[in-house]
Amino acid sequence: MLTGQGRYGADLAVPGCLDVAFVRSKVAHGTLRSVDCAAAREVAGVVGAWSAGDLAAAVHAADGVGDLPPVPYTVAAGVTTHEAVAGREWPVLVTDRVRYPGEAVAVVVGEDRYRAEDGAAEVSFTIDPLPAVVTPSAAAEDSVRLFDGLSNVALRAEAGKAVDDAVWQGAAAVVEGRYRQQLLMPTPMECRTIVAVPEGDRLTVWSGHQMPYRLRGELAALLGWPAERIRVVVPDTGGAFGSKSPTFPEYIAVVFLAVLLKRPVRWIEDRMESVLTATRGRGQDQRVKLAADADGRLLAYELNVDADVGAYPQFGAGVPMQTVYMATGAYRTPRVHATLRSILTNTMVTIPYRGAGRPEAAIALERSMDVLARKLGMDPVEIRRRNFIPPESFPYQTPTGREYDSGDYAAALDLALETMDYAGWQAERARRRADPSALPLGIGLCCYVERSGGEPDGVFTFAGLEAREDGSIIARCGAAPSGQSHETTFPALVAKTLGVDEVRVTLVEGDTDEQPVGLGSFASRSAQIDGAALQHACELLTDEAKARAAKLWGLPAAEVAWADGAVSATTGEASVVDLAELVKATGPLAVFGKFQGGMAYPFGSHAAVVEVDPELGTVTVLRLVTVDDCGVKLNPAVVEGQAFGSAVQGIGQALYEGFEYGADGVPLLSQGLLNYLVPTASEIPPITVKDTSTPSPTTRLGAKGAGESGCIGTPAAIINAVADALLLADPDLLQMPLTPDVIWRAARAPKLREEAAGETPEL
Amino acid sequence: MKITLTVNGDAYALDIEPRRILADVLREDCQLTGTHLGCEHGVCGACTVLVDNAPVRSCLMLAVQCDGKSVRTAEGLAGPDGEPHPVQRAFSAERALQCGFCTPGFLMVAAAALEADPAMGEDPQRVHSVVASNICRCTGYEPIRRAIVRASNEMTAPPTR
Repeated sequence: MLTGQGRYGADLAVPGCLDVAFVRSKVAHGTLRSVDCAAAREVAGVVGAWSAGDLAAAVHAADGVGDLPPVPYTVAAGVTTHEAVAGREWPVLVTDRVRYPGEAVAVVVGEDRYRAEDGAAEVSFTIDPLPAVVTPSAAAEDSVRLFDGLSNVALRAEAGKAVDDAVWQGAAAVVEGRYRQQLLMPTPMECRTIVAVPEGDRLTVWSGHQMPYRLRGELAALLGWPAERIRVVVPDTGGAFGSKSPTFPEYIAVVFLAVLLKRPVRWIEDRMESVLTATRGRGQDQRVKLAADADGRLLAYELNVDADVGAYPQFGAGVPMQTVYMATGAYRTPRVHATLRSILTNTMVTIPYRGAGRPEAAIALERSMDVLARKLGMDPVEIRRRNFIPPESFPYQTPTGREYDSGDYAAALDLALETMDYAGWQAERARRRADPSALPLGIGLCCYVERSGGEPDGVFTFAGLEAREDGSIIARCGAAPSGQSHETTFPALVAKTLGVDEVRVTLVEGDTDEQPVGLGSFASRSAQIDGAALQHACELLTDEAKARAAKLWGLPAAEVAWADGAVSATTGEASVVDLAELVKATGPLAVFGKFQGGMAYPFGSHAAVVEVDPELGTVTVLRLVTVDDCGVKLNPAVVEGQAFGSAVQGIGQALYEGFEYGADGVPLLSQGLLNYLVPTASEIPPITVKDTSTPSPTTRLGAKGAGESGCIGTPAAIINAVADALLLADPDLLQMPLTPDVIWRAARAPKLREEAAGETPEL
Repeated sequence: MKITLTVNGDAYALDIEPRRILADVLREDCQLTGTHLGCEHGVCGACTVLVDNAPVRSCLMLAVQCDGKSVRTAEGLAGPDGEPHPVQRAFSAERALQCGFCTPGFLMVAAAALEADPAMGEDPQRVHSVVASNICRCTGYEPIRRAIVRASNEMTAPPTR
């Protein structure tokens, strides 16, 4: 990767490979009247062009495949439900109704991308626009329906029990809030890629993808083939952050075209396509209500989520349940009730983006905690301490149905406060509040709990080890990395567990032929699940080696030991045989096993200090401290690097990033990275990354998931700091991202003290 | 249109369409895929290469504009004996990459700045301006900053024996 020898999807040299370009709708919602690809087919270098009808007919006429199917879905991990999808078919190309801007109405294959785009420019089509709905509240009214005869509300769910009115009425303090979790673009630096290569009766699919096994299985089902006929290989992948897990409609078109044409076909998404049609993350309108007694002890919490899940429910209608399940946060609140409506809108679909439901849960609760602290006149630190689930309470059953495995929430908060110099910044804040010429300064906290590993139906994997005569050891697992340093971390883990030199271990993953079973890399699962599976495979290997040595030496198995990559007899004549020698003497040695893990609950405390310029509307983060606890770390430097980068993405959500649509559903920020503002080096404040370590008792290595922490903990810390600086009477004015416009307006809104004193705010 | 590009010291006689961008010609015609396309509108900088030693976004430059010029890519950073460039060593040592997709662009802007002035690492503002010229979504930039300072230190250190 440092020498230009990395191989990403677009780098694969496949002789004769054709490129596709999609013809995309500019309108968000409309009736497709006609598509005419005839002119495109006349363009030099164009191999073919297909509307939905053309492609369906071509597939129908072809041997060896069934009819062109719609986009598939899975109910694994609850990402959607059969009920949500029923009657809401997602065609590969638009058949009669466009439901999001950029939805593809035709596909053109060319000898290269230039020619494919030449052809795409010649496709003519007519769409009669329909009114669009782009916000959950507008869509929920059902005055405009995406699917005739069906509500836009695709899924309703809840966790916990409804809170009795008497609890709210009897509380010393009740605060309410409305928070918008804006739509974000995951924005991996590499957009989506797929290269489909027919070889005999098999198909090899190269794709920068997080779930190669899901992709293989879904493609096989779509084609009507046994899974063995498809090999999915994940080459180097330029980031994913949750956005590269499904079988996208474009992928299905590419695969069917490769099969039809019997030639390699690829789609290398460009950034402008990505801006229009890559999946989004977040997208929730939240209403919250939090009650406490006079001592600041939490009595009840209510969270109502209206989630914008985009135009089709297939990939993520159930993802916001992660917010619902995690509504309890770090506190022993006796009554927690969270509800969800997943609502279809005329936007590209919302699926997991780094954090996936947990940032939304943490932001809602942690903002509310600060509002409550202010109402009670308590220090935000003290109210949190008073309510933390104490370390001795684990495993802790939350009112919203999660069983937290382990934690020491106060320890993480203490370390964050100590690291940031809380008392020092409190003094500085007081100094500035007394000085009318000083820029306001605020301190914000966020104490979060998240979930890693996946849902109960997916916290398992398969791993194997193969010891060879030359001393090398091949480690195989079912993960699929996109920049998480697996090749550094996993061989080191295997080497350490076996007691051999790291250079002997080679990792193989992300190839469904090399490792036929697995799940992939998502939900921060790789270290926790695949790492533990590799450790388990090490045990299988040493057990087998000891058994073979015992047989070889005619000893009882109990009299053979394993140490430092070798077997030895513990009795009689001392004999030590290295693994490689043992393989030479006894034949190939390969072990393989399934590992069943559990869910884990990483946590942490983030603290931010900000300075706000009310005239310019700018927020300057003076200090950011992140303390994360992901249990046992396999490679602290790797974890720290991910924690830092994750915090920067969290800063992005708090201050810069947001994808907006006009009322007609057309994106307002359509200039790619020119106006979708991911943080650059100029936006990076001084960040200190620290950690505590509370091993997970439910996972073999004690490791919990890492890497999503910053997206979860950092945004609320920054928002709370800005609210603290501005002392707003109505903190709901601070909706992310906190652009200069938002801050400038908020800075002119009534202040907390002014309102309390009944004064008219200065405008 | 016939052009000649000298890429990493090798001459490439090419017959290409005038509309082809430099990045595509490097990646496809020269088969040097170490130059990555991250946005194709000049913002992210992943495609940065050196044309006559100056960093350019190869997505915004037509290959025909480079006729007769010398182009350097990530593949051409290492010395003739395969010895890594100091900036490559420093990126490795500082873990200045995670997914690696933006890395070639950062390596090239860093190499250009360091080769023009090996001591630039002493000036935080100049280091910042180099790091701030490209986008990375994984690292948060701090390891990249450290890597450039480290490479600068190495390049200005008195030779040891």
